[in-house]
Amino acid sequence: MSQNPTSRDTPDEQVTNDVLEVEDLTKVYPDGTVAVDDIGFAVSPGDFCVIIGPSGCGKSTTLHSLIGTVEPTDGTVRLSGNDITHAPTYERDIGLVFQDFQLFPHRTVRENVAYGLERIETDEDEAEERIDNALDLMDIRSLADRDPTELSAGQKQRVALARSIVLEPELLLLDEPLGDLDYKLQKKMERELLRIHRELDITFIYVTHDQTQAMRLADQLVVMNDGKIEQSASVNDVYNNPATGFVATFVGDSNTFFGTVTEILDGGERARVETAFGSLTASTANLYSDPHEVVGQRMALSVRPHYVTLDADAENTLDCSVESVIHQQGSGTQLVLNAAADGQTAEFQLKSHDILDFDADTATVGWSAEHTTLLERNSVVDGVDLEEDILGE
Amino acid sequence: MADASIVVDSLSKSFANETVLRDINFTVADGDLCVVVGPSGCGKSTLLQCLAGLVEYDRGHIELDGRSDDTLTVAERDLGYVFQEFEDALFPHMTVAENIAFGLRQQDVDYDEDEIDAKIDEMLDLLSIPETKDNVPDELSGGQQQRVELARQLVRDCDIMLLDDPLADLDYKLQKRMELEIRSIHADLESTFLYVTHNQDQALKLADKLVVMNNGMVEQVGTPAEVYQSPETAFVGRFVGDSNAFEGTVTATEGDTVSLDTPLGDVRASVASGTVSTGDASLFQFRPNAVRRVDEGSADNSFAAQLIDQTYTGEETELTFRHHGSEAVVQAVTPRRSSLEVGDDVTIGWDASDTVFFPTLSVTDTTTVTDLQEI
Repeated sequence: MSQNPTSRDTPDEQVTNDVLEVEDLTKVYPDGTVAVDDIGFAVSPGDFCVIIGPSGCGKSTTLHSLIGTVEPTDGTVRLSGNDITHAPTYERDIGLVFQDFQLFPHRTVRENVAYGLERIETDEDEAEERIDNALDLMDIRSLADRDPTELSAGQKQRVALARSIVLEPELLLLDEPLGDLDYKLQKKMERELLRIHRELDITFIYVTHDQTQAMRLADQLVVMNDGKIEQSASVNDVYNNPATGFVATFVGDSNTFFGTVTEILDGGERARVETAFGSLTASTANLYSDPHEVVGQRMALSVRPHYVTLDADAENTLDCSVESVIHQQGSGTQLVLNAAADGQTAEFQLKSHDILDFDADTATVGWSAEHTTLLERNSVVDGVDLEEDILGE
Repeated sequence: MADASIVVDSLSKSFANETVLRDINFTVADGDLCVVVGPSGCGKSTLLQCLAGLVEYDRGHIELDGRSDDTLTVAERDLGYVFQEFEDALFPHMTVAENIAFGLRQQDVDYDEDEIDAKIDEMLDLLSIPETKDNVPDELSGGQQQRVELARQLVRDCDIMLLDDPLADLDYKLQKRMELEIRSIHADLESTFLYVTHNQDQALKLADKLVVMNNGMVEQVGTPAEVYQSPETAFVGRFVGDSNAFEGTVTATEGDTVSLDTPLGDVRASVASGTVSTGDASLFQFRPNAVRRVDEGSADNSFAAQLIDQTYTGEETELTFRHHGSEAVVQAVTPRRSSLEVGDDVTIGWDASDTVFFPTLSVTDTTTVTDLQEI
């Protein structure tokens, strides 16, 4: 297996038909801050790629390097095979959508959408047709003659999207575009973005700190932390085969604790792990090293709350006291539990899609070895303390 | 209503010529966590300001712990009040400890310095920010500042706490963590919380009781289960929880069930509060989690459809179907992964008991079918 967690899921050699390739990208600001530290990732044509990470992780600097508003210290950015690392922004075939819309007031919606086409001197008939198509796609044809200041936040964001889409860029970059919208409108616009992406042949790169949004939108997730990439992979891999402890705790909810690997079982497929809360069986599929080489090592392991049930006969079980039972209509039941052993306590959570008929002070919860993920590395960054990073502030 | 901590009776308020609150009625039982939820501009923050005595209302009456509010000054109400814009609320030149102590010193109780210090430590521990004690607000992250503001209000141990979307500006992880903490703080303090938010997911998670507002009016008051499972108006159905909504015309009624002529074809539905007769046209809805793959005819409503998109989020998969014969799009959700692939033709279905026809769109007379489909 590769030693580089970011490339674990991609073959070392592949034909590069990637629309975007970022190689060895580094940005050091004049004050010495290393915002982006030698990162690389590639995006396939037509994919919806979401870059996610906590504040200050370097995702905005990465985005600005793609746009051309930040001059990289080192590294290469290629768009459809062409080196654009030092190309001016206006020469890059990239559309941009920001959180604050940046629409022109005193120009109608139609004029806002037409603006980019005028600048590239598009034939008038063709321009009209493309504008109509963009307005139709965004479902704002009826607003074409309105001034943007008369529009709601959701409508403004549609206009901003239409203005970028009309130029048919190779790549559309979206920087937290839904950050300021009401919860309900955010959910609706997420669905709209998925629809637009489905109907267009444009690659999306979307930056957010909102991990539910990321999981919902992404074909490919790039998880950043402290200037580096922790993992670049599909939602399925990031959720079920997290490359590091950081990924397991930052993306999606997880129960994480520590144990020592004592024995390898089933010809290498499973490992016995001794924890403060008892002996557990874990899958070895997520290890970088040969399972036999990690015997004796102490490492983190995690299980997603959705894989935990009230099954006392499961491969792994835990006796807990019940801190809180939250029945949420439409979402199911969440149990906030406390596991205690040897004077240590750990919070443990169970989530069920159904509303559980449960109202006891203690519970035995269980889950399978398959869903017990060993996390050989805490992070690609040195000195990451998982407990500290769970809050992801 | 001796056990009601908050009584809001026929409250109305206009600014200039715009009515922002119209005949608001609800009560909150002592010790409950009541969430007022509604879209931006529905009047929920103004309602909170009326309760706090910061805004004068035109008509109606408020009682706080049995005391009529017209005799109470802002200070005498003795309410905790947490704003969303916490940056302006903290004193910038004071440390976190001094900020929290300020709230205590304002009270009539004469605490000695050791008591104050102990209370501050207890609050900082409860909110997991003990390390910030000697910092000034500027040195803290947004999430830490918001928790200091919470601590400053909670330490006063008021019988009634008003919270105006206090978690709206926090990162996802911190928001989830703080939702759990607000629940446990509420359980510990045993005081009454009135919590305002536009986030219906948070509302469903936190509330003992929900007040759903729309355009200055109360649409429905009830437990989360009542509001989610038995919405009285189409607005409540659409705003609280996820739903598929279409227009339908009643073609037949039998008992509690109606047959509807809809873009999807013939649909059988139950009826929300109100009366229906043949020929009535209105909105009906069904939740994505009620939609499942069925054998033809084995659900009350079943249709041929094609899967046009699906997105796996780890915890569940959201599926988008296009109905054969119309362009109608139906959303479904299933736990974990689905076995379908985009392009698959399948029969999807859902039961009449999971389908609600709404004789009333909204308690406001301005809300249209188009508005509701836009939600």
